[in-house]
Amino acid sequence: MPKYIVICLCCPSRSKLRGILIKSTLLRCINRLIEVDSGEIWVDDISIKDYEPIELRKKVVLMPQNSVMFPGTVLKNVLFPLKVHGLDEKRARKALKDAGVPEELFERDAEKLSGGEKKRVALARAIALRPGALLLDEPTAGVDPGKVEQIEGAILKMVSKRNLTVIWVTHDTQQALRVGERIASMKDGKVMKVGKRDDFAWEGVY
Amino acid sequence: MSGIPYTPEQALISMALAGILIIIAIALMRMKRLDMEKEYIYALIKGGSQIFIFAVILTYVFSSPFWYVFVWFLLIAMVLIAGRTSAKRASDMPDAGKITTPAILVGSTAVISVLAVSGAMPMAPQFVIPLSGMVFGNSMRICSLTAERFLREVRLGKDRIETALALGMPSEVAMEEFGRQAVKASLVPTIDSLKTLGIIFIPGAMTGLIMAGTDPIVAAEYQMIIYFMITGGGMITAVATIYLMRKRIFTDAEQLQEWV
Repeated sequence: MPKYIVICLCCPSRSKLRGILIKSTLLRCINRLIEVDSGEIWVDDISIKDYEPIELRKKVVLMPQNSVMFPGTVLKNVLFPLKVHGLDEKRARKALKDAGVPEELFERDAEKLSGGEKKRVALARAIALRPGALLLDEPTAGVDPGKVEQIEGAILKMVSKRNLTVIWVTHDTQQALRVGERIASMKDGKVMKVGKRDDFAWEGVY
Repeated sequence: MSGIPYTPEQALISMALAGILIIIAIALMRMKRLDMEKEYIYALIKGGSQIFIFAVILTYVFSSPFWYVFVWFLLIAMVLIAGRTSAKRASDMPDAGKITTPAILVGSTAVISVLAVSGAMPMAPQFVIPLSGMVFGNSMRICSLTAERFLREVRLGKDRIETALALGMPSEVAMEEFGRQAVKASLVPTIDSLKTLGIIFIPGAMTGLIMAGTDPIVAAEYQMIIYFMITGGGMITAVATIYLMRKRIFTDAEQLQEWV
């Protein structure tokens, strides 16, 4: 995988529901939450089946569409996976700050946050593990439309700082053009076209 | 006074007279149109015949020098029946019997071993049979409650579990909270009844011992042994159920099974 690149997987809104399911399934396959029926997925020249599942998921972290919070405070939400991997609180605080979560929210009940705040916490939780790649499933879904670009900005800032590869699933073609360096358009479960942003900017994603 | 002061014939007459309660129950069922009279009568006949057949068998077993052979058969049958009954509670889980049967076996064997070694259960059929029945029955109840609750919790919390897995957490950690809730829920009724012991109700074993002429203090002591047995065995069964269910619910690659 090339470093620091945002690849957008995008599908037309008329097959929105089906398209989202297919793209989410693809991300879940890469993260090995489900197995592929056929074909093979490789991460850093190694088949994902040759990784220990936990090691693979630390290396390629998936941020699911619905930012489910664990019970407890915002800080505990980021700390929970870190502690499992033997990492400390400093990292959690730094990731939260980088994701733009204000410090006064750290001790707040995570389940009571707004959609946008939850997205930021979920992002901090994923980034805190210092993965090599990030799989984002509709990361701005459910966010107040006025704050979508803020969240996009926060994500792009974090991934460029950390030199990450990102696979960003979206149904919003405009978002794909805003954030994707490379774009893959999908239709009915098949990749229709892959290319640089500029290739799509001329003729549109579909 | 020692035991219920009836001969079997007198007890039969008393039972027939107490049968008036059946007529009252059926009359009320009809009045309220509950449409369960047939089921009630069937249950009475079935349950009644079963305990009388069991009583006849016990009469022979108690006087037989080979009672332990019967007890072994009985224990095996108890485990298999309890495992099957409990598996029906989690029927949408494939091969549920392979989880419930070993979980009940582990919990019950641990309790029966402690009872036997500590001398709380004298090695005579009068003690071994009813106490084992109580142990298996309790383990079965706890196993059913735990399995049903755990599966429900996991299904409701599927998104949270997958979020945890996606962050590289092992399945054991991802489902820990749900397992804890299921174990707690299955033990709450027992702990609540323990708290109200002697205030709201006198439990079955103590009632039976007092009616059989045992000193109430000894009856109370024995009842406590039974509660130790119920809570200890219940806890072991519940933990074993969760452990085995986790192995079934997750794949070797730490994924949730498709049927969940």
